[in-house]
Amino acid sequence: MIQPQTHLNVADNSGARELMCIRVIGASNRRYAHIGDVIVAVIKEAVPNTPLERSEVIRAVIVRTCKELKRDNGMIIRYDDNAAVVIDQEGNPKGTRIFGAIARELRQLNFTKIVSLAPEVL
Amino acid sequence: MWAALRSRYLHLSATSLPSSSLTDRSWKLGFSGLNRTFSSSSAESSGKELLSLQEVEKVLRDVRADDVTVIPVGNQCDWADFMVIATGRSTWHIKNIAQALIYKVKQKQKGAKRLVLPSVQGQETGKWIVVDSGRVIVHALDEKARAYYNLENLWTPRTVLKEPVEELTKAFVKVRRINNSKKPAQRSA
Repeated sequence: MIQPQTHLNVADNSGARELMCIRVIGASNRRYAHIGDVIVAVIKEAVPNTPLERSEVIRAVIVRTCKELKRDNGMIIRYDDNAAVVIDQEGNPKGTRIFGAIARELRQLNFTKIVSLAPEVL
Repeated sequence: MWAALRSRYLHLSATSLPSSSLTDRSWKLGFSGLNRTFSSSSAESSGKELLSLQEVEKVLRDVRADDVTVIPVGNQCDWADFMVIATGRSTWHIKNIAQALIYKVKQKQKGAKRLVLPSVQGQETGKWIVVDSGRVIVHALDEKARAYYNLENLWTPRTVLKEPVEELTKAFVKVRRINNSKKPAQRSA
């Protein structure tokens, strides 16, 4: 359950370290974003000497949430952190590698690029 | 989001069955997928693939994709069997590679009641297009993107780097210092 003002970790090597959600993309008055949703975020903290800078506005896909993800077969997945992957307008990831486990729902939601860069798919 | 996901899941499992007893069999399929993983249950239950590896290779040869690499990834991840990476010369060429693959799928399913198409991502820009046809994932990239993302390096099975074990064992062996003192060793009485 990601809403504006939520801080998220960054699960890729794009250069950002921490994001803050400022908008959930979808409906006009959408409250929460879950795994696989696109948000507009601002970079709160960045690694020095990388293309991304602090206070830059970017788009990101949520890949991990503390709020549990329920599957139709009864499986429940929840992570320890909220994490997102920085993407550009076309949906290509900014980073080249993704860290940590991600859920396979991202593939159904047409983020196969992110899934194919990830080390582990749950 | 969830409604769309579920509808696609149902759609896949339902379309994969040619017989008339659609409802009860898809119901069973949903339950047989319980112990299996989420997406593979829908992909495997379709029996045959949208595209086989040979077909993909043939299509890529026909559209003259450069530098085609096939990486078997079945032992590294459970969601795909083969990664096919191809380079296109231009944006148009990359888009044409994707279109050719889709055309092949359509040709293959000619006469079927409902077409099942692979999901294609990145078709607007044509820098990196992914055709996700179940167990075979085809990546068509331009040269820059290929060098940037370096997918081969990620998916080629890494040979386990064997560190020279001798040095490590040496490092951990405790060596008693040589006693250089001139004093005669004092015996405790």
